[in-house]
Amino acid sequence: MVLLDHIASGLIFSSIIILGSIGLSLVYSIADFANFAHGDTMTVGAYSSFVTFGAIGGLGGAVLGLPLGFFVALLAGIAVAALVAVITEKVVYEGMDLDSIGMLITSIGIAFIYRAVVQMWFGADAVRYDIQALRPIEWLLPYDVRVTEHDVAIVISAAVLVTGLHVLLQYSDLGRKMRAMADNPDLARVSGIRTDRIKLWTWVIGAGLAGSGGVFLGLFNLLRPRMGFDLLLLIFAAVILGGIGSVYGAMLGAFLIGMIHELTPLLSQLGAVLPYLPDTFGLPIGNQYGSAIAFVIMVIVLLFRPQGIAGEAV
Amino acid sequence: MSAVTRARAHWADLTRAERGVTWFVVGFAALLLFGLLSGALAPTYFLYLVGIAGMYALLSFGLNSQWGFTGLINFSVAAFFGVGAYGTALMTAEGSPLAGGFNPLIGLVVALVLAAVLALLIGIPTLRLRADYLAIASLGLAEVVRTIVKNEGQWTNGTAGIRGIPSFFEGWPVLATFPESMPGLEIVVSPGWRTTFTVPVVDVGLEFVIPSSTLLLGTSFWRALLNVALVLAFVGLSYALLRRVHRSPWGRVLRTIRSDEDLARALGKHTYSFKMQSFVLGSLLMALAGVFYAHLNLFVSPGDLDPITTFYVWVAVILGGSGSNRGALFGGVVIVSIREGTRFLNEFAWIPVDVAPLRFLMIGVLIVLLMRFRPQGVLPPQRELIWPTAVDKAPSRPDSGVRDVKAGGGDE
Amino acid sequence: MSDVEEAVDQEFAADRSKENVVLRVEDLQKTFGGLVATDHATFDVERGTITGLIGPNGAGKSTIFNLISGFYQPDGGRVEVNGVDVTGMEPYEVADHGLIRTFQTPRKLEGMTVREAMLVGPRNQPGESFVNLLTSPGSVGEAEKRNLADAQRILEEFEIDHLATQPATDISGGQMKLVELARAMLAEPEILLLDEPVAGVNPTLRNKLADQIQRLNDEGTTCLLIEHDMDFVMKLADPVVVLDQGSVLMEGPPQRVQTDSRVIEAYLGGDA
Repeated sequence: MVLLDHIASGLIFSSIIILGSIGLSLVYSIADFANFAHGDTMTVGAYSSFVTFGAIGGLGGAVLGLPLGFFVALLAGIAVAALVAVITEKVVYEGMDLDSIGMLITSIGIAFIYRAVVQMWFGADAVRYDIQALRPIEWLLPYDVRVTEHDVAIVISAAVLVTGLHVLLQYSDLGRKMRAMADNPDLARVSGIRTDRIKLWTWVIGAGLAGSGGVFLGLFNLLRPRMGFDLLLLIFAAVILGGIGSVYGAMLGAFLIGMIHELTPLLSQLGAVLPYLPDTFGLPIGNQYGSAIAFVIMVIVLLFRPQGIAGEAV
Repeated sequence: MSAVTRARAHWADLTRAERGVTWFVVGFAALLLFGLLSGALAPTYFLYLVGIAGMYALLSFGLNSQWGFTGLINFSVAAFFGVGAYGTALMTAEGSPLAGGFNPLIGLVVALVLAAVLALLIGIPTLRLRADYLAIASLGLAEVVRTIVKNEGQWTNGTAGIRGIPSFFEGWPVLATFPESMPGLEIVVSPGWRTTFTVPVVDVGLEFVIPSSTLLLGTSFWRALLNVALVLAFVGLSYALLRRVHRSPWGRVLRTIRSDEDLARALGKHTYSFKMQSFVLGSLLMALAGVFYAHLNLFVSPGDLDPITTFYVWVAVILGGSGSNRGALFGGVVIVSIREGTRFLNEFAWIPVDVAPLRFLMIGVLIVLLMRFRPQGVLPPQRELIWPTAVDKAPSRPDSGVRDVKAGGGDE
Repeated sequence: MSDVEEAVDQEFAADRSKENVVLRVEDLQKTFGGLVATDHATFDVERGTITGLIGPNGAGKSTIFNLISGFYQPDGGRVEVNGVDVTGMEPYEVADHGLIRTFQTPRKLEGMTVREAMLVGPRNQPGESFVNLLTSPGSVGEAEKRNLADAQRILEEFEIDHLATQPATDISGGQMKLVELARAMLAEPEILLLDEPVAGVNPTLRNKLADQIQRLNDEGTTCLLIEHDMDFVMKLADPVVVLDQGSVLMEGPPQRVQTDSRVIEAYLGGDA
């Protein structure tokens, strides 16, 4: 059934958006500004892993159709994205005496710088990891689900990373302090939490997850200098949908946005999916409107529930 | 008081930044003049540049009346520009898939109405919320507009764009045929024309030699001249309007909202309504820039809605000084120099990088440096803004720079 | 008033027998995520008084101010200004009914001189309509001239007219408080809500502010005042309403409030 296939790709795309939205939400609540460079941090992660993978190669062995070298490259992508974010925080943001709006504008400048450097280095054209493309998994084909082992790897890896974050937030000292700071920065400061250190860790974790999301996005599609910036709006939509300041809300929002984005093509073939409608029935909305529909839903949510679906009314 | 002493007194009254800008403008004008006389810069191209500069000035005015006056973060400048351009193109162009063939004045009206409707659509859900929501929602909705323009070919011709847009003066008496009816002029800059003068301070003699060149001023020149007249009229009217409203009680409420919206509300101001008015006003100016562009370029395509335009305009406004109309004018001109200047870099084969990312880099670095070192911009508003007839003797400038503080909206 | 209602009224800690009520707060409730901030608060403010609103930290004073002035929406209860129900109205609508408030920490108006900042005060200026700017600039100019003269006069009364053309960002915190008070007067309030008018102000300016508030009151402005400085409140305000844990504990003249055992207990208990 065609519906299952779209749900499957929705799941994969959601995994990538979840990885991006967690970091954006953390930085939003702890560094207190909308970071427009977050998407380009994903790009940085993707290209870093691309370079690493090119240098070290496959290293033999494979898990889910992905050579071990790819996982090393993934770690490199995460590390570089985190490092770049920390350097940016130290060099640019930390010394600034600006309110959250000023920081927001600054982050746009940072986004352009990241993208410009990537594009100067690698050109504007798309590149891809040197990994054999796989055929869809055989035993799923009868259900019309066309999913490769790579896609499964993306979902599993994202699940592992998200679980790791959950454990960190709930059970570690750092996580407790991060949550306290997200709730009320002033209170956290007066109760003796070293907020600047927590902020730095926030950048490491947020950008690291974004970097991993970038790597998977590159594996799912291709690597382009604009890849992160193009995804940024969907990630913002996810964070707003979930409620700014709530990491778990952001995850839920990201899941919904990813699904909506991938289910959009169904609108043009509603007849094939829904009963009681002629098979040829469909709304004239093509899959190029996936992002547009996600934004419109975001705006509608803003209109009726500005605190997001998981946020609490103020 | 003679003109000279008056000018000197005026000069003494300027701030350092204002003097710097004055020198920059004078130098830049001299450079352009030299380019024109030496034939390095074709007059028609020069007029085209003036037109584009005027267009950016309009866009900057628009953003300035949203961000600079009220603190609204609008990241959909390109969308309003595009709606203006497409609005008039669809009404007037021969190749329009919709109406087509109407007088450009009708195109202008339709474009402005469309922009106002779009502004309401974006403003209604977001202007009640925190400032950064507008930033995100406006960037998203700008992408929605671009997606629609790109994909709904039956209305917009899709990626093929719209050709055959008439000039703005099509169908007007006299002006419609003005370029064709003007005689072709040929101006020969006399060969070997040279000038020598001595720089008094360093006592060095300079000699300028302008090589012989011939300037041909044909139909395209006159057409370009007409366009420049048009954009100057748009810019002049907008400037006069903004100057008046900025120093009015209306503008004062906007500036209060920018610093402290709660204070404005507590004093009985309906801030949502004021924000909406400021948002619509700015959007109309951006659409006006789009209308001019469509009739200048005679062709529009979805590429004209690229978000990069939005960020060019942001840099122009921040550079010029948020809230300052003349700053927006200045910023607009500087941005055109960057945009067109980098275009020339393409001609130097030895530069190893592509120009597109170089522009991104310049924009990015400029934003970060400005926010880091001079967030108030080069020409922040300096003078007290009270309705002119109400003050007998306003201090031309307060005792110290009023705006010499950080930029950015109110603290969250 | 029927017997039943009277019986209910006696349960209230506040004095409900006032004649000429400008502000009536009735059974106001507000919770934030399960945290009760305002718990059935009820009190009246009589015209011509300076009514003090005190209470230990976290008693919900600022929340009540925000509820009255329309910045928060109450979960229940009523607010009346001059007999008009303003519950649930936007702040600007509440202001239109004559209730003007000040803030604990006013933000400085960037890029304005003191007198420009003052000119934000007057309500319903013709020049605040965009259309008027284009169609009747003359009347805009006249109103502006009048307002400027008013601003100058009030600044003189407050003895801060020497600051008129100073940048609003350059004056001290205490001077800013004076300017705020002066600006609020330009809005011609029926009742003025002052949120900690002397917090962080040096003693000299503090006395000056007290004198000014007293003078405004003598000239007929009703004030409701939150303040932590007890001497300041007790000197100015009569009656004083005491809040504790979001509801009204008692109301009375300053001497009685100071000696009331429940009040002392609330203050001691609140901090413990």
